[in-house]
Amino acid sequence: MKLFASDNRKPIKILSALFSILIVLTASSFALAQQKVSRRFPAGKNVRFELKNITGTITVETWDRDEIAVTALMDNRKATFNPRQTESGLVIDIVGDNRGRNDIEMNFKIQLPSRSSVDLETHSGQINVRNVQGDLVRAHIWTSGDIQLIGINASRVFAQNLSGDIYFDGDFSSGGTYEFKSGRGTISLQLPASCGFHLVATSSVKRISLGPFWDEKRMQLLGEGRRITGDVGDGRASVTITNYQGDIKFFRR
Amino acid sequence: MNCENYQLMLSDFVDGALTIEDCTRLELHLNSCPDCNDARNDLNVIVDFCREQRGVYDPVPDSHAMWVRITNLIEAEHASASHHEIHREAGWFFRMMNRSWQVSFPQLAGLVAVIILVVAMGTAVGVRRFSFSGGPQVGGLVPIPPHIEDRYRQQQQTIAYWNDRVELNKARWSPQMRETFERNMSVIDAAVDDSMKQLAINPHDTVSEDILNEAFNDKVALLKEFSDL
Repeated sequence: MKLFASDNRKPIKILSALFSILIVLTASSFALAQQKVSRRFPAGKNVRFELKNITGTITVETWDRDEIAVTALMDNRKATFNPRQTESGLVIDIVGDNRGRNDIEMNFKIQLPSRSSVDLETHSGQINVRNVQGDLVRAHIWTSGDIQLIGINASRVFAQNLSGDIYFDGDFSSGGTYEFKSGRGTISLQLPASCGFHLVATSSVKRISLGPFWDEKRMQLLGEGRRITGDVGDGRASVTITNYQGDIKFFRR
Repeated sequence: MNCENYQLMLSDFVDGALTIEDCTRLELHLNSCPDCNDARNDLNVIVDFCREQRGVYDPVPDSHAMWVRITNLIEAEHASASHHEIHREAGWFFRMMNRSWQVSFPQLAGLVAVIILVVAMGTAVGVRRFSFSGGPQVGGLVPIPPHIEDRYRQQQQTIAYWNDRVELNKARWSPQMRETFERNMSVIDAAVDDSMKQLAINPHDTVSEDILNEAFNDKVALLKEFSDL
């Protein structure tokens, strides 16, 4: 007895062919729906880059060229994307350029000189910054999204979100200012053993782990353990960390 | 010398007991003052009537006692007149302090009862005002210290303003954006509530106060940012 008669196999072949066509059409329509825009702007060594996004991922990397490359991937709803070159660098304001539209999602990949300052802001989404060595690194997510700052050596660093984790891997310069703030994510800092800073770390839920940087002679607990203040090393950098409902963790690199 | 002084001399004048000088001076005045002259005539009529009626009425049985009563009445009227003057010219407190209070025992007892009742009610209202129901409460149970309560009220006004603006625009937001906003706002609200609870337990907790201030600032900043969308 034959399991599949030849008459029965025909409809199956037709169905699978139709299904394959459907998959191809769906994939191609999705690809067509995404719009990719790439632009390059000349820049000096010490450039300032500002980006204010609505929703989406922002990735900033460094390279050896004296120019800024901006690659924006946006959905099919046409968003206005109008970078402005200024004396100090480049400004992209998606919020201002698309006033009254809050449904725009744009993903950015930025490449710029390592000595650049970056000021990044989005209402929601991820922010990733790697190897920036300029004066300022600011990453602000108004609501939800993770922040990753890796290989950072800037004298001023500000990272803030409400939901989502903040991860910092870098060094603190002497006399620098560093602020990290989250609503309920985990704030993790990975630092070299030689790092020196004055710390004010506050977590409402009393979950602060200084790991190898804890020194009971130079630090004190306040507010029943909700705040730790004190010096690590030379104590010359100022580090302020606030977390309303999440953890604060220190690691040695 | 004025009319009042001349009229005081009239009685002696009628009795013929004045000196010649006083008599001359009074007569000169009476010739020039119709009021005093009328008073002299009235007195003459009274004296003449008394002289004519002398011996008609029986003498009072105890004239001394009667004069004592008359004197007392006059003094009482004089005292009443003095109070009347105070009543017109002095302030309310002075008038009250110079007034004689005459109350019966039931009145006094009633007054004391009213005072006790008023004081008890005032104390109860005061305690409620400052401890339990005067200001915002965390979870409807924990009282807030007054200085925090003031700040809370001020911040609430600012927050209410920006919140109204956000609410106007919310209808235009996508459901995803609305959900994201609400979820993150609840994080800040939870931080505010936690800090308030801590401050209700320990009003001098600087850590909670710092967190509260930061949470308020974050909330206003978030509302401002989203009010334009």
